[in-house]
Amino acid sequence: MTEQMLQVKDLTMHYKTSKGEVSAVNNVSFVVEKGQSLGLVGESGCGKTSIAFSLLRLLPDNAEIKGGDIILDGDNITEMDKKELLKVRWKGISMVFQAAMNALNPIFTVGEQIVEAIQVHNQEINVAEATVSVAELFTLVGLDPKLMDRYPHEFSGGMRQRAVIAMALACHPKLIIADEPTTALDVIVQDRILSQLKEIQQRLDMSMIYISHDIAVIAEVSDQIGVMYAGRMAELAKSNEIFKRPIHPYTYALMGAFPSIKGPKKSLTTLPGEPPDLLNPPSGCRFHPRCPRATVQCRQEVPPFIEHNPEHFAACWHPMEVENE
Amino acid sequence: MSEKNSLVRVEHLVKKFPVSAGLFKTSKSFIHAVDDISFEIGYGSSLGLVGESGCGKTTTGKLLTRLYDPTSGLIEINDPKVGQVDLATLKGQDLKEFRGRVQIIFQDPYESLNPRRTIFDTVAEPLVVQGMGNITQREEQVSTLLETVGLTPASSFLFRYPHELSGGQRQRVAIARALVVNPSFVVADEPTSMLDVSIRIGVMQLMMELANKMGVSYLYITHDLAVARYMCQRIAVMYIGKIIEKAPTEELLANPLHPYTQALISAVPVPDPEFQRQAIPIKGGVSAPIDPPDQCRFYNRCPFADDFCRDNPHPPLEDKGDGHFVACYKV
Repeated sequence: MTEQMLQVKDLTMHYKTSKGEVSAVNNVSFVVEKGQSLGLVGESGCGKTSIAFSLLRLLPDNAEIKGGDIILDGDNITEMDKKELLKVRWKGISMVFQAAMNALNPIFTVGEQIVEAIQVHNQEINVAEATVSVAELFTLVGLDPKLMDRYPHEFSGGMRQRAVIAMALACHPKLIIADEPTTALDVIVQDRILSQLKEIQQRLDMSMIYISHDIAVIAEVSDQIGVMYAGRMAELAKSNEIFKRPIHPYTYALMGAFPSIKGPKKSLTTLPGEPPDLLNPPSGCRFHPRCPRATVQCRQEVPPFIEHNPEHFAACWHPMEVENE
Repeated sequence: MSEKNSLVRVEHLVKKFPVSAGLFKTSKSFIHAVDDISFEIGYGSSLGLVGESGCGKTTTGKLLTRLYDPTSGLIEINDPKVGQVDLATLKGQDLKEFRGRVQIIFQDPYESLNPRRTIFDTVAEPLVVQGMGNITQREEQVSTLLETVGLTPASSFLFRYPHELSGGQRQRVAIARALVVNPSFVVADEPTSMLDVSIRIGVMQLMMELANKMGVSYLYITHDLAVARYMCQRIAVMYIGKIIEKAPTEELLANPLHPYTQALISAVPVPDPEFQRQAIPIKGGVSAPIDPPDQCRFYNRCPFADDFCRDNPHPPLEDKGDGHFVACYKV
């Protein structure tokens, strides 16, 4: 059996706004095993980044975790105090953000920033030792260690993203969350960064969570894929399985809406309507107003998130293709 | 293609931006944003312009709508209503009138709409500028068009403001604004790249429908080859100010000839975990287009480059048959 690195159980998180409570994450559960990667895919506002911030407890003041457990390697993050959380961030879980320029401080060299990160979390390490490990990290992510003394503005977009990845690796975390790590990059650079991330993850036997709106990117890097819709997990399964046999009509629609340059040119399908307003989410299944298979039951009752096929979970009353016994 | 059946004919188009430096802001060097490109777009057909950031595709779009003045070159438009015009040298009143025939849709519907103007004011503005119709006619025309772009019922959208609309709805407003004067040619600069997947296909299909219905031709600018595949009959690939390859869409994707196009296509992720993609590695990154040396722009990254490529000017676009053009000495 593989080892569970992260277990998220029934996570629910709300934002308080002047207009009312926004139900951003609603009863989400998943497991990331050691050395494995999970891809979270969904559209803007589906709650994928809110999950990432909940895992690190880096939430803004108006956000509140209403329930559920986040268990990282045996420790429950939802119950930790501030001091314990400091130990979890960087060492337990670290994060690669989308906007690499904003994640780096413009007035320090890239090397200094990573040295600082290492020293804050390992007080026994001196500057010289930390500098040596920064050089190693630079090599690992494909940057020339000579570039350590450069400032962020001297880096190209791809190099900055590599520097941010090096920083995320600095304290040997158990889990890395990569939130849209290549969205701002050109396709050739994106390809290089993704293959580098995948290689590092396999070499260091790390766990990863990739977050993206791009199902093609997620398909390339993830062992497991979770499809989010309006704050809920719609479907979760192994990558091959979910692409071969999508169960949830939303997953099916998402795949049909994604153009590809390979294979015969298939006609693309549209999804009627727009994603819901989470101040007043639709009753029952949140996808029902846009779902071609919706019935009265979908409007009234929330579908449970259950195992339809082996290791293939979905929340749907009328799943697409469940194998009959 | 003969001159007669192409709506847009661009020849040797050049745009250089001065790089200011030093105490007196004198400029000795130039950014060669668009460097001697030529292409044609037929009636009711669309050309995809693809490439990475900074390759000059947006500058090309702005030149074709005369938001920038070209440094040199010809932009000939054979509009069925106005006749043949060289847009590159048009001035004053003539240019203003011609703006009614050529329109542009921008990438970001959050920035391209004025937050203080109602949807009606926004969509009707080109009509006001062109002096078309009176207020009742305008209102009728705007309502019909809003219905056409899927903002129904139009009466509920006319007097709303952009902040009340979602991203997809805003982009539909931007499309309506571009089409309200019934143009023959529209530059669409990444019109769907800011939209969510489930909204994006709807906007793409709308643009294709409108092209068929109203006979509009597009110059479709995008970084996404998969989107270009669905929107365009032909694709031109740009690299540092040059068009390095152009061909009918399926031909280009199935049989790319230029090493850069091959690398670009091989780097696109495929939404299928079982597909084993063979990425073609190319070294380095895109160099800055400031006074590039007179050799193939791709020379320093090309895996096949040799002394001949180094010592000769940038290769010309050569016809390899079936409308497939490529600029490479090694093909």
